[in-house]
Amino acid sequence: MERIGVVLGSREATPLSFWVGVEGEGLLRLDDLVVVEGFHPKVGKVRYFGMVDHVAKVHEGETYDTDIFLATRGQIPVSLAYVAHVSVTRILPEEFFPPDPGSPVYLAEGEDLELALYYEAMKNQRGSTKLPAGLLKNGEVAYLNLEFLNGVKGGHVNISGISGVAAKTSYATFLLKSLLESGVLEDAHQAKVLLFNVKGEDLFFLDKPNARLTEEARQAYQALGLPATPFGSVAFLAPPKKDGYVPDVETRLEGVRAYHYDLVQFCQRGLLPFLFADRGFMTNLGFLVQHLTEKLRRLAEGQRGPHLLVEDWTKEDLPEGITFDALGKVRLKSFAELVRYLEYKLLGPETGEGEGDRSWTARQARGTLEAFIRRLRASVENVAHLIRGDRLGNPPDPLQGEQVHVVDLAKLSPQAQMFVVGSLLKDVFERKERGQYRGRVFIVLDELNKYAPRDEEGPIKDVLLDIAERGRSLGVILIGAEQTASEVERRVVANAAIRVVGRLDAAEAERPEYRFLPTSFRQRALILPQGAVILQQPEIPVPLLVRFPFPAWATKREEVLEDNSAEALRRELF
Amino acid sequence: MAWRLYALELPQAQELLPEGPEPEGFWPLEESWEPKGGAPLPWPEPLYFLDGKERAEGLVAEGRRLALLGCVAAGAVVFEGGRMRLLPPLVRRVGVGLSEALRAGELLYEPFPVEGEGIYALQEGLRRARANLEAEVASGLSGGLLVVDGPVRLRREAPILGYIKTHWARYLPPEKEALLHRLAPGERSPLFRIRRKGLELASWYLRLPLPPEGVRPPEAGLLRLETPLEGSYERLAALSVSLFPALASHPVKDPRAPQNLTPVGGLERELGRRMGRREVVARFLARHLGGG
Repeated sequence: MERIGVVLGSREATPLSFWVGVEGEGLLRLDDLVVVEGFHPKVGKVRYFGMVDHVAKVHEGETYDTDIFLATRGQIPVSLAYVAHVSVTRILPEEFFPPDPGSPVYLAEGEDLELALYYEAMKNQRGSTKLPAGLLKNGEVAYLNLEFLNGVKGGHVNISGISGVAAKTSYATFLLKSLLESGVLEDAHQAKVLLFNVKGEDLFFLDKPNARLTEEARQAYQALGLPATPFGSVAFLAPPKKDGYVPDVETRLEGVRAYHYDLVQFCQRGLLPFLFADRGFMTNLGFLVQHLTEKLRRLAEGQRGPHLLVEDWTKEDLPEGITFDALGKVRLKSFAELVRYLEYKLLGPETGEGEGDRSWTARQARGTLEAFIRRLRASVENVAHLIRGDRLGNPPDPLQGEQVHVVDLAKLSPQAQMFVVGSLLKDVFERKERGQYRGRVFIVLDELNKYAPRDEEGPIKDVLLDIAERGRSLGVILIGAEQTASEVERRVVANAAIRVVGRLDAAEAERPEYRFLPTSFRQRALILPQGAVILQQPEIPVPLLVRFPFPAWATKREEVLEDNSAEALRRELF
Repeated sequence: MAWRLYALELPQAQELLPEGPEPEGFWPLEESWEPKGGAPLPWPEPLYFLDGKERAEGLVAEGRRLALLGCVAAGAVVFEGGRMRLLPPLVRRVGVGLSEALRAGELLYEPFPVEGEGIYALQEGLRRARANLEAEVASGLSGGLLVVDGPVRLRREAPILGYIKTHWARYLPPEKEALLHRLAPGERSPLFRIRRKGLELASWYLRLPLPPEGVRPPEAGLLRLETPLEGSYERLAALSVSLFPALASHPVKDPRAPQNLTPVGGLERELGRRMGRREVVARFLARHLGGG
């Protein structure tokens, strides 16, 4: 044990926090962990474990600020005081009396460090649940308790930070790597991951080694007990281009599949509300949307797709280009045609003042009906390539096939993004609810503030709330991220057992959402370097500042380590 | 019979004028009686500043006998390598007039002889205890130059320089004294010789800067310096012109500016701190030696 200083007597020492005077050549930094031994004849020996959250140096012997000039010229004697403030993380045994001023302070290492950070309690009947979550400043591995991540005691992760520098996505993927490959999560082979790619094409190279991976980063991976390899089993899904049917991605040409829904899936799965994501169910329009969703579901019953067959569109009312098929039914072959059909059912034939079909209009005023149609028409441009009647639906299915599914949203309009996220989350959650998949599902979603905004209602927010509140018992774990936690629905953030904070902007850091961080951490969140985050978990009363290694997988085209070996070429060619 | 606490505060002692005979005469050591400046000289190293401090802490009585409990401290700062550094100070608790050590809790007062009778003799004893302690500290400082607060009383092989902040005695005849009013900051008077208790000394006056200039009478910034009349006393006089003005304190920060030198100010504060807090000591005395 390295003795580093003594407990100060000139400032209050309490069982929860005290000051340390650093001796001689001793070095004490923020985040260092220390241990102090106390003794009282009535309770015996007590050990205080703590973390340094403030360090300061001051000249003693200077009365005025300008005395520093005298001191630097060597005209007055001064002595340098080096002090640190320690927040106690743990007292063993739990006897809350203060340590004695003058007690020696030691650096917590090895077993002491484990006690200070409650690592020794991170286990269950089957063994350790210490999930590597990064590296502490002193090079030791920072762990978080898997049981607070996989849903046993708690679940969900929330990551906040400025985009670009906070490395939210990098940390989320690092955490996934740890979950899937550290061996701590027992049924990792059954776990599935659904990753939404919201900007750029950062996540489209998860399966490629990173050419910029340094030896240092490799060693960090080794220290963490993780292989410095890209993800093994990844499916890449992107929306099709608006014309033709090729995935709309630019940097990655091979191995990306296009995804879309066909009209029958759209109706059967009840996806209409996700086109009206900003609408709560309590409005007239919301009510109409719900009613129509049900009507469409019944209409599509028993149909196989991809086109939707309708019977009740009379010949004289058919617009140009739409015809009867052999059986006397009308075949809707595109989303635009579905919209025309709904228009006909709600507002009547284009010619004449006609009324809509009463069983469809749900007694809504014409204004509401018209508003609905207007909005639906406006969405045709946004989603027509995603909801089609010309080929069988091929929506992403994160519970089948590859372990990790990357679903691209970057090129979609906001409405289409909402639609895809809403539809997928609902699908995954409902299937887990029905017990159709045993393994755990991890969902990584950035820009939570868009999908679960604090002040608005909407169907996606409802799904996210469902996941946040009930997901952990069903094995659906949300790894959500946002720039500003203050703009995300409180219950979504509050249900995350693990909170991660990257670089924050100064105004954001002062909001109540970050009060769980001690002041010093809030200040440091403003200057966090890339590759470092603040990690808060339920069992440890102080947050940890952790570094995580540079991704072992490429995050853009240029980083891909080209494999030019003969073997790889052969595989590619034959 | 045991010693009991008689009083924590001493009866208000009248301000004692420093004793000592009037100067025996005036012997100038330099020809022309004009202000002297000088080119800056590098400070010698090590350069020591020595100071002491005394504090009466309580008066105890045993029957009719009185003893003065007090604390004396002495220490030095040294200028070396461009830094002013504190040397470990000595702090002692003494009981002037005690015949054996007296304990009050954690405090132990060593006996110290008293010469004469009455409260003033006790106070004088405490001053002697301090002077002894200063001498003890000084004996541990070798080489370089030693600067002491007050007249030179110590004997030392290496150079020693005393500085006197208040001027009770007139060393100059009235017609020579006029020069002191003309001294500009950083200038000194010519050297003159004085003799005290068998000691031959060279002495001179030095004017310290006292900003803002021109507000106070010129005497306000005067310092008298003395050094044994042997060896390189002239060189010391030249050095004093670059040494003391640089160490003069600023009136905004120190009411005893400019004569209270900055390193000595720091040393005094430190000595005061090492003596412990007056209130805490008083509490010890009251608890262990009974109420007065």
